Amino acid sequence: MPLQTSLIIAVVLLSIALIGVLLARPSITNTRGGKMMAFLVLFLLPILCFGMGATSEMERSKSTEFCLSCHIMEPYGESLHVDDPTYLAAAHFQNHRVPAQQACYTCHTNYAMFGSFKAKLHGLRHVYIYYLGSPPAPEKIKLYEPYNNRECLHCHLGARSFEQGAVHNADPDLLRAVKANKVSCVSSGCHETVHNVATLGKVKMWAGQP
Amino acid sequence: MTNTANPLERRLRLSGLLLILALLTEVICLFWARPLSFLVLISIEGVLLVLGLAAYLLSLVPAKHPPES
Repeated sequence: MPLQTSLIIAVVLLSIALIGVLLARPSITNTRGGKMMAFLVLFLLPILCFGMGATSEMERSKSTEFCLSCHIMEPYGESLHVDDPTYLAAAHFQNHRVPAQQACYTCHTNYAMFGSFKAKLHGLRHVYIYYLGSPPAPEKIKLYEPYNNRECLHCHLGARSFEQGAVHNADPDLLRAVKANKVSCVSSGCHETVHNVATLGKVKMWAGQP
Repeated sequence: MTNTANPLERRLRLSGLLLILALLTEVICLFWARPLSFLVLISIEGVLLVLGLAAYLLSLVPAKHPPES
């Protein structure tokens, strides 16, 4: 368990103990000091604990481990270990082009205003469908909306390999179209092998750990 | 808890019980690292916390006493 989570649990347990003292002897609130203690213990500390807990859960929800904890996502986790550089997600994960601990979140969040918030809303929808709806087979999962180049350009824009790449510059209009999201990076025949979970049984896997 | 407790103490106890339940929910969620724990933390703990805080704030409002004759 991370140190941060342990500290939050310690603060929460301390708050519970202090509330227990007030429950056992509510008459201590008759004094001025008791009233101040009640305000601290029954108002400020619970709000602080909730804030810390919610923040911790939000951070944890960004982790690769968290995303892959749903069974339906397991093939997508396996696709990160494909031993083939043409697999876009695997190449990014294995070469640390994205943080390995936040691989899913880094590519699937929205790098616009309220992007993290929208990602969380999508996450809530995932959880709803997973527990209360009828989730599709892993290979039939689709994005809610077409993948926006903005998410790729968040890192690649300005990079030498992107700006001066031979293929990217073979057609003088291509880079402009990619930057304007008129030609998709992942579905226009260029980098379209992303997760491809339907073919995982036929490809070689990389045994290493990033 | 005794029947002789005044309304203020009763509200403080109610508030304390709700807040303890909220905080215990948080501890469970922090140990139970699954996607559902996030929902439980936001929804169940959130509701218990709001109720607990409301009970505490209500306890601050002085009770009306019948006029003395």
